Amino acid sequence: MAVKKSSFDSVAAGPAPSADAPDASRPATASTPAHPSVDALRGRFADAVLHHEVVGGDEHVVFVTPERSLEVLTFLKDDPGQRYDLLRDVTAVDYGGGRPLQVVYQLFSLTFRRALRMKCELPLNALEIDSAFWLWRSANWLEREVFDLFGITFRNHPDLRRILMPEDYAEGHPLRKDFPLRGRFSRAEQTRRALSQELGHYYIQQEIDMGGEPQSLPPSMKELEARPEETAAG
Amino acid sequence: MGLSKAPLPMVGGGSPRILGVGTPAFLTSSVDFLVNWARRNSMWPMPFGTACCGIEMMAAYASDYDLARFGMERMSFSPRQADVLICAGRVPYKLAPVLRRIWDQMTQPKWCISMGACASTGGVFDVYSMVQGIDTIVPVDVYIPGCPPRPEALIYALMMLQDKIRQESLAQHDILRAEDPSAVAQPRANDEEVAALSGPFGNSTQQNRVSGLVQSDAVDRPDDRIS
Repeated sequence: MAVKKSSFDSVAAGPAPSADAPDASRPATASTPAHPSVDALRGRFADAVLHHEVVGGDEHVVFVTPERSLEVLTFLKDDPGQRYDLLRDVTAVDYGGGRPLQVVYQLFSLTFRRALRMKCELPLNALEIDSAFWLWRSANWLEREVFDLFGITFRNHPDLRRILMPEDYAEGHPLRKDFPLRGRFSRAEQTRRALSQELGHYYIQQEIDMGGEPQSLPPSMKELEARPEETAAG
Repeated sequence: MGLSKAPLPMVGGGSPRILGVGTPAFLTSSVDFLVNWARRNSMWPMPFGTACCGIEMMAAYASDYDLARFGMERMSFSPRQADVLICAGRVPYKLAPVLRRIWDQMTQPKWCISMGACASTGGVFDVYSMVQGIDTIVPVDVYIPGCPPRPEALIYALMMLQDKIRQESLAQHDILRAEDPSAVAQPRANDEEVAALSGPFGNSTQQNRVSGLVQSDAVDRPDDRIS
């Protein structure tokens, strides 16, 4: 195989830990500094914590099996020694080449002023993970965004709909590496579909009410009105 | 206008009722002058600013550039009382029906200015989510290049539009003010036009050297393409 001389090689190759299959026995390198939360996680969820690494100098990343992600997140939020009360971001990464998608949780503890990044690797044939909405309300739209752009299903999410793309978008999930840059349909088809969106998909109910009775009330509007407010039971 | 029943030279493809160019009656030319004078000096813009071009548009209204000098001091935030739709900024497909609806709601006479590279062609956003030029959605009278254009460019575009209005004639009313009720909420361009309008400007599919459509002496590094 010819030796590549491209500066994009590292991007194409993806991060080293995700290139091979998740391995529970993968030990942390000797030079990895300790992180109190990771140590606590290793003690409590020894079989769930797959890997721990430090990137960018002092950013601790812990890889967790997706099956037990909710348990781990609950512990990180509620344990008096952890108190990760701020979920800064939920996002996902696709490194392409058939590698698993990574769901990334950016956690911050205001109490201890401590940050932790948690990653869960989902194989492409099982893109499902538990929703973190019932722990942090901020996960609501973030998880909708990940669902919209990556097609990852969040179990028990209260309102898992598309958030950025039109609700009737039929071309797939745009941030996946196998998605063509210009979409799957022709420009003419995209334009036609864009202009035939239902009213309720691009105006909110209050805006429609402001304009009085619209001439053509789409059938989905009644359904939209009947939908309960997004409230958390917990 | 029915001023003369005599057979007259046709404007290309027009209906027989249209007066021919070059034979304006005295009355139409005088009324034209008055109507066009009134219209071009009181154009009320409907701002549709979606991005950085909108900031330049605001600057054009503000005191330094003072668009009010041209009779456009009244920003119309309702399409019903607007004459000029100024689309400033990129328009994603999700916003396309809103733009079309605003255009449909505007009353005649109405004109449209496409401000900036993104509104005119899609600009650098040759991607799945972006309208490749608002002329696929609504008819456009003046395109302003630039990323973003300076306020002077917007003022110049409005002056060009004034020039265009100056040349209008009531005799051409049927053509200029034509409204097709069945075209409401439909794309302005048909499929071939959309393909032609959105094709040549892209830099991802049609214009890159892999497509073979452009000549380039750049070093080809296929390894840089991440599959």
